[in-house]
Amino acid sequence: MAYQLLKGKRGIISGALNEDSIAWKIAERAHEEGATFTLTNAPLAMRMGEINNLAEKCGAKVIGADATSIEDLEKLYDESIEFLGGPIDFVLHSIGMSTNIRKGREYGDLNYEWFLKSLDVSALSFHKMLQVAQKKDAIAQGGSVVALSYIAAQRSFPDYTDMAQAKAMLESIARSYGYHYGKAKGVRINTVSQSPTKTTAGTGISGFNAFYEYANQMSPLGNATADECADYVITLFSDLTRKVTMQNLFHDGGFSCVGISEEIVEKMEKQ
Amino acid sequence: MFDNLSFNSNLCIVFEPQNILEMADIAEKVKSIIVEKLGVEASEVTPEASFTNDLGADSLDTVELIMEFEKEFNVSIPDDQAENIQTVGQAITYLEENAK
Repeated sequence: MAYQLLKGKRGIISGALNEDSIAWKIAERAHEEGATFTLTNAPLAMRMGEINNLAEKCGAKVIGADATSIEDLEKLYDESIEFLGGPIDFVLHSIGMSTNIRKGREYGDLNYEWFLKSLDVSALSFHKMLQVAQKKDAIAQGGSVVALSYIAAQRSFPDYTDMAQAKAMLESIARSYGYHYGKAKGVRINTVSQSPTKTTAGTGISGFNAFYEYANQMSPLGNATADECADYVITLFSDLTRKVTMQNLFHDGGFSCVGISEEIVEKMEKQ
Repeated sequence: MFDNLSFNSNLCIVFEPQNILEMADIAEKVKSIIVEKLGVEASEVTPEASFTNDLGADSLDTVELIMEFEKEFNVSIPDDQAENIQTVGQAITYLEENAK
């Protein structure tokens, strides 16, 4: 159901690889809600995925950008503002990559070059997106910026290795920059800590199916889907959440507040 | 002396080793790209080795390899052709046939 919550708003959406991506669902919902936006991804991800199909569907322009490159980000804002005809009202950061995870490296045997790359791609890129925007004054008064996170920032998940640090840094940047950009221009900055989601990135983590099921059985409402995440993020981009900022917002069916569930008790008793 | 060069047979002798050298160059370049990108030992990079099954490449690695081949050999590899490049040997053959 659409409510025109983003009517007249202009945005930039990063990280839509294919139709399993959370960013893809957010783009579809933003389009339904009346927003216009540009889509961006790393050239490699653009080649790998199907972003052009999404762009066509949403009337969006695709602007390739490496989110770790200041030059690329400057170009991204310049071209977005030109295409959309004014300053940006909302930005989605949905970018993460860990070579250590992809190569199955244990936490006690991480490659540090890859570790720094994980932090740069998955967290520092968020600061870069914000700093480039602020220096260009690219985001409109009261604009909203959201990055997608995961509860491994607070709790230990053995196979999440260096991405746990990346997500902790991402959430910290939302708090710090939320203060500065809030003071300067009333821009709100939040992270959404989403349930495990069956995306290309998510399923790249070993043991994913087990912790997907575990989280599902631990959450009174069950895991939140990518579509449900999109609904939530749309409210954060809308004017209905004007004073929500500097928060890490759990969108996880209740998982983060549950000690143990009846389903898990039952499973343990069976053993 | 110069007369000898006008014979076709001589020209063939002149050109053949160059072609062989170029082919060997392509194979060596392909192998070194794979070693660097996938972080594998050169000895593992045999013609039969599959990127995903034998050399530990994931979906992102395979796209990265294709893009690296395109850059290095100045070719454009369409997606439907890229799908058929799954082993080291297939990459070398494709590039020998298509590299400019």
